[in-house]
Amino acid sequence: MKGLISLFLILICNISFAAEQAETIFKQLAPSLYQIRLIDKASGEKSSIGSGFQISSDGLIATNYHVISSFARHPEKYRIEYLDNKGNKASLQLKSIDVVNDLALVKRDVEQEMPFFVISKEVPIKGEELYSLGNPHDLGMIVVPGTYNGLKKESFNDRIHFTGSVNSGMSGGPVVNKNTQVVGINVATSGNQIGFLVPHDKLITLVSQYQKEELLTIDEQMENQLHANQKKLVDALLNSDWQLKKLGEGLIPTIDVPFIRCWGESNADKDDALIMLAVANCSLDENTYIAGNFFTSSLEMEYRFMQAKKLSDTKFYQLFQRQISRVMPGNKAGKDDVTEFECQHDIVMPEHQKINNKSIFCTRAYKDFDDLYDVLYLGVSIDRDDQALLSHFTLAGISQKSAQAFTKKFMESVSWK
Amino acid sequence: MEIIIEEISRGHKLLGRHKFNKTSVNIGRGYHSDIILSDPHVCAEHISIDYDGENWRIIDQDSINGCFLGEGKKPAHGHIVHSGDVISIGKSQIRIVFPYHPVVDSITLSPFENLLNLTKQPAVLIINIFIFALLTGWIFFLNNPKEVNFTQLFVPAVGLTLMFAIWPLAVSLVSHLTKHDARIFTQLGICFVFYNLTWVIDFIEALVNFNTSSQFPLTGLLVLLPISIAFCLFWLNCHIGFHMSKLRRVVVAGCLTTLLFGGTFLIQLSKKPDFSVRPQFNSTLLTPTFMFAPSSNVDKFIENSNDIFQQVNKKKNEKN
Repeated sequence: MKGLISLFLILICNISFAAEQAETIFKQLAPSLYQIRLIDKASGEKSSIGSGFQISSDGLIATNYHVISSFARHPEKYRIEYLDNKGNKASLQLKSIDVVNDLALVKRDVEQEMPFFVISKEVPIKGEELYSLGNPHDLGMIVVPGTYNGLKKESFNDRIHFTGSVNSGMSGGPVVNKNTQVVGINVATSGNQIGFLVPHDKLITLVSQYQKEELLTIDEQMENQLHANQKKLVDALLNSDWQLKKLGEGLIPTIDVPFIRCWGESNADKDDALIMLAVANCSLDENTYIAGNFFTSSLEMEYRFMQAKKLSDTKFYQLFQRQISRVMPGNKAGKDDVTEFECQHDIVMPEHQKINNKSIFCTRAYKDFDDLYDVLYLGVSIDRDDQALLSHFTLAGISQKSAQAFTKKFMESVSWK
Repeated sequence: MEIIIEEISRGHKLLGRHKFNKTSVNIGRGYHSDIILSDPHVCAEHISIDYDGENWRIIDQDSINGCFLGEGKKPAHGHIVHSGDVISIGKSQIRIVFPYHPVVDSITLSPFENLLNLTKQPAVLIINIFIFALLTGWIFFLNNPKEVNFTQLFVPAVGLTLMFAIWPLAVSLVSHLTKHDARIFTQLGICFVFYNLTWVIDFIEALVNFNTSSQFPLTGLLVLLPISIAFCLFWLNCHIGFHMSKLRRVVVAGCLTTLLFGGTFLIQLSKKPDFSVRPQFNSTLLTPTFMFAPSSNVDKFIENSNDIFQQVNKKKNEKN
């Protein structure tokens, strides 16, 4: 009994210790925390909000790229403003961005040296207590305790899995360890206590790059980063093992990398279906946000095996035609971001000659970035009377060379058993 | 001395024709006249046309509204008649011709005419309409992703067939109203032959689209097929339903074709959004039986894609 009571007491102590520590941390750091606001110049009201934190004595502030993305794309329409813990407001200048890791550096004017957050040199250990700071839903600065759970294993660009509530508006806020050193930046949430952070080393890289060169414009930085990212992605994909898996009578490639995940579905339970259908989807779980509806660096692959059960070949192909004419791109970029699609089609038999496809390939160019495209491929087998294999992918934000290399490998990988 | 008098409408269509073998012909509303006109603007005794041994002369019988040469205002009283003269009386018109007035050359009865008449034979007509309804039902069936019963196909097939019968019926009605022979069954027969031809053309288009790649330069010409079919149909509609000169027939058929395709094109153009997210590609699929073209290979396909990359870059630079 005594043992139980003492255990209970220890627990209480621990909880109150944690709360106390959170309070101290908050008090200590509050002057270097900001709410970052995007003000629409025409209406004078804020159009989006996020958090930010000062990382140098001369006023450099780190936040998320997505907090200031509208400004980065349309600097003539918005201005950036901060709100500090005393309620002071002033303008900020956008200095540098990392669109792939969703980071941005803004700068405020300072009259004297100011306190700032120190970026940690070490990676936290799994289970370590961390504190996320930010201003959720414009409710005021808060501190949220949580746990470090390592890097998200399926992510192509590293993200920390943080067990704690990260809410919208906290984006761009720092996550610190017990020693008040920054180990991550709030970036996204997956609901109930699952938050994602950008690891602190990305911020260190961005800051050191910013200090080295300040010559590139925001658009040029974005273009370079998107190019580097797509090259890294396609190289990783092309150099990985493409495993052939069975889908009905067909063989389809799945790429053996952790950041591509596949899902499957079929209508095998429906006896009255006219067509037996098995679908496999593989996609990259993440993408890069540019602005508005414009997401890029995404990959989706879809395969369908179909077998006519109770219908003629003519009807089977007619229904199939209706299905493929409805194909849409994976991302919803608009008129300002991309051109319209141009397509080509042909009857293509790959070298191994096991399948004859009607192949359709479409592409559209990004208006603001050179040699970046969205591509879409659709292959439909046309060599079996009552069976068909559809292979499809869309790749966003990719160079012509990468797109062609990926398409070639993809087209050569799909075949009949 | 013989004289022929034709009652004609204002559009110079023949209403009645009379031949007299005497030296004086009376025209008026009265029942004792040789030619009785029911026009209320005509007097009981309006004019007479008299032969004086040498010439025929118009004599106005002191009518209230007078008589005039042709459409003009020149009074016809005392006028010496020439063959082919038109005289206005009240609101009516007559045309006077003498025997041996020249006539246009006769048109030979062509085998073409016989062919047109073949389409109105009951058996041919019924078979054509039946084929059309059957094909319509079949297309509905092919495009329906669920299982369908007979009634579900029967209703749209019959409905669409009736709808397509409206055009020949309307043409017949117009020819009837313009005092031409309605020839309703010939119109129906010809129309359904051509409707069925459009199914054939649809199939040819699908076959070509299925077998060719986007590099094939002549696919654009396929659009000429339905246009020429429509032109031929309208030309025949005019030929069957109306007496008109060759040039006029071509012009009318051309106008109708332009209206049909130009209108459809304009409607499409007006519906086209400023920017379309959806890729436009040729998605034609037929069964493997209809694949005759040799296959290309992956490297060639990838090489060809350079062109579309170039095209989108061009588009990008245009807008910037």
